[in-house]
Amino acid sequence: MRIVVGIKWVPNTQAVRFDPETGTLIRKGVPSIVNPHDLPAVELSLRLRDVVGGEVIAISMAPPPAAKGLELVLGMGVDRAILVTDRVYAGADTLATSYVLAKAIQKIDSEIGKVDLIVFGQETIDSTTAHIPAQVASWLELPYVYYVKEATVVDGGRVRVVRELEEYLEEYELELPAVLGVAVRAFKPRPVTLSMKLRSKIERRLIVWTNDDLKLDPRCTGLRGSPTIVAKTIDMPEVPRRKEVFKPRDAKEAARWIVAKMLEDDKLRELLYRSLWGVRG
Amino acid sequence: MSSAIDCSKLCPEWPCEQPSEFKNVWVVIEADESGLSEASLQMLTPGRRIADKLGEKLVGVLVGYRVSHLAEDVIKYGADEVIVVDSEALKTYYPRVYALTIVELARKYKPSVIFIAGTKRGREFAPYIANTLKAGITADCTDFDVDVESRDVLLIRPPFAAILLAYIKTPFRRPQIGTARPNVFPVPARDESRKGEIIFENVANISEDRMKLVSRRRVSRGEVGIEKAEVIVSGGKGVGGPEGFKYLEELAEILGGTIGASRKAVDAGWISEDRQVGQTGKSVKPILYIAVGISGAAQHMIGVREATRIIAINIDPEAPILSQADYSVIGDYREVIPALIEELKALKEKGPEAVEEYIKWLREIEGKR
Ligand SMILES: Cc1cc2nc3c(=O)[nH]c(=O)nc-3n(C[C@H](O)[C@H](O)[C@H](O)COP(=O)(O)OP(=O)(O)OC[C@H]3O[C@@H](n4cnc5c(N)ncnc54)[C@H](O)[C@@H]3O)c2cc1C
Ligand SMILES: Nc1ncnc2c1ncn2[C@@H]1O[C@H](COP(=O)(O)O)[C@@H](O)[C@H]1O
Repeated sequence: MRIVVGIKWVPNTQAVRFDPETGTLIRKGVPSIVNPHDLPAVELSLRLRDVVGGEVIAISMAPPPAAKGLELVLGMGVDRAILVTDRVYAGADTLATSYVLAKAIQKIDSEIGKVDLIVFGQETIDSTTAHIPAQVASWLELPYVYYVKEATVVDGGRVRVVRELEEYLEEYELELPAVLGVAVRAFKPRPVTLSMKLRSKIERRLIVWTNDDLKLDPRCTGLRGSPTIVAKTIDMPEVPRRKEVFKPRDAKEAARWIVAKMLEDDKLRELLYRSLWGVRG
Repeated sequence: MSSAIDCSKLCPEWPCEQPSEFKNVWVVIEADESGLSEASLQMLTPGRRIADKLGEKLVGVLVGYRVSHLAEDVIKYGADEVIVVDSEALKTYYPRVYALTIVELARKYKPSVIFIAGTKRGREFAPYIANTLKAGITADCTDFDVDVESRDVLLIRPPFAAILLAYIKTPFRRPQIGTARPNVFPVPARDESRKGEIIFENVANISEDRMKLVSRRRVSRGEVGIEKAEVIVSGGKGVGGPEGFKYLEELAEILGGTIGASRKAVDAGWISEDRQVGQTGKSVKPILYIAVGISGAAQHMIGVREATRIIAINIDPEAPILSQADYSVIGDYREVIPALIEELKALKEKGPEAVEEYIKWLREIEGKR
């Protein structure tokens, strides 16, 4: 079985700080990481391979530094990695990104071997759209499902998954090939081992494809292939709040102040009367 | 109006269509055995506003099985027209069947705008619709506007740093598709006197033969979901562990509320994911939101913009939440919360007569400051 897993190399958004003086984001020196929500997708892919055999191929469309991210997942045990990179892919929105990924997956299918399963993380921490899995499924016209928290291969030709919605737990069976979006935190990723990393370096398991390989029409990729445009950005409007801060002498005083404030506030008094005495305030 | 699109510049995989061929604002309405989905009714609120600004119709698109009787309701909530696809083929939800049904309708009617509620299902099928139409899509919008001159809809969303809002448009492509998380918009007021047209459509031959539902069961969460709660006591990293949430639960119980959490508390595994408030969690609109050991990161605070009042309990006098809450107390929650529980219990015992005493005390200490 051949599984392709998509990963993205993203700025560690938790480390991006805000400069209140200039009102801008301080991105300088912010390290990049493999999108944390992709690691469960990699882990699931490896587990399925470990059971049924075959190979896991990680893929990422990104500028060259993303090779580091692919090296990391090779270190987790991924069999090969493909970095899809070209200037004409820059500035892509999710439609243009999914296009390149879908075409690269088709190339894997025709040149490396049949692709049975395509696995993605649920969403990225820098764009959080959760578009890519469905969009890739649309380009390839494959069945797909999101929020997967369990998956097993049955009879070699199908995958059985459990996924969770707001109020339902659902079990589906999908014919292969299919696309899965893996739920955030669904599988604990195995650690990267140095020996795996070294092995993949020596054996050159990371390959790079550019548009010379994919030969895509530049009108379909990057900025030109992206229908969405950021027209402008503004500061988030502030919500008016009372901003009263109390430094109490002790916890008792803190508690008393909170209760007193609630009783004084029309909006909260009513609520307190109802919850304490079941009457209107 | 936008100028005509030069088709030779477009990706040949995209159908070449002029924006001027498209008209009307659609809202996809989800429904099941229990009726209309509230989250999709909420999308009628911005839908109405944008349709009015454009001078176009607001159309509800209701797809499902045995849902026809609900169409009138969609009109009462503000739609001018409802397109209904009521088919046994839609009895079981499959993302592609659902998406392709909407795609078929969109190809026929050419709506200019499609709004879809960002429920878990909505987030699943919406990008498939957009991609199949080769249209732009913007997820998790917090507002919408329209540039009346160019007739471009502005899809407004915070990028990962929720201190900014990006205005996104798709000037060369129609329909313009956007999703918003539940509770970002209110359900419109119901107007019994509204009238509108109901159109029945049949979408032929869309089925999913490569996927099948094996089982489906309701997961009972026991407690009230945070989306509906009037009071939410929410814990963050500062709560220190799952035991910390026990204190918060006791407080929530006295106030008739429920438990929420920051992402760090969820990531730490102290509390289940459905409790997470914020950009990647849920938007909530309680009367009272009590933030305990939560620093006030922009991505968290965006989820509580609609809270009537926020009380913060934080040990750090520099915590950013202090300037984003209504009432903040600086202190260790492990002391403040038990004291607060005691105080509320005592007040409950004493009855409403004791209220005056609190106000008097407040005046006194405020006088001293
Ligand atoms: C794309 C993106 C999306 C995100 N989405 C979300 C989201 O949906 N929801 C969300 O919450 N976050 C989200 N985040 C994360 C967010 O940036 C913050 O990291 C997170 O909200 C911080 O959680 P916290 O306030 O619990 O933890 P911290 O920031 O670590 O704050 C802990 C607080 O507890 C206080 N404290 C410590 N001990 C005590 C004590 N004994 N008593 C009282 N106070 C104490 C500390 O002073 C501190 O202020 C997102 C981030 C990104 C990049
Ligand atoms: N540039 C990319 N290359 C490979 N996979 C990606 C890329 N962008 C997104 N993905 C995958 O798609 C998932 C959803 O991403 P998004 O739609 O951007 O939130 C991620 O978790 C990744 O698995």
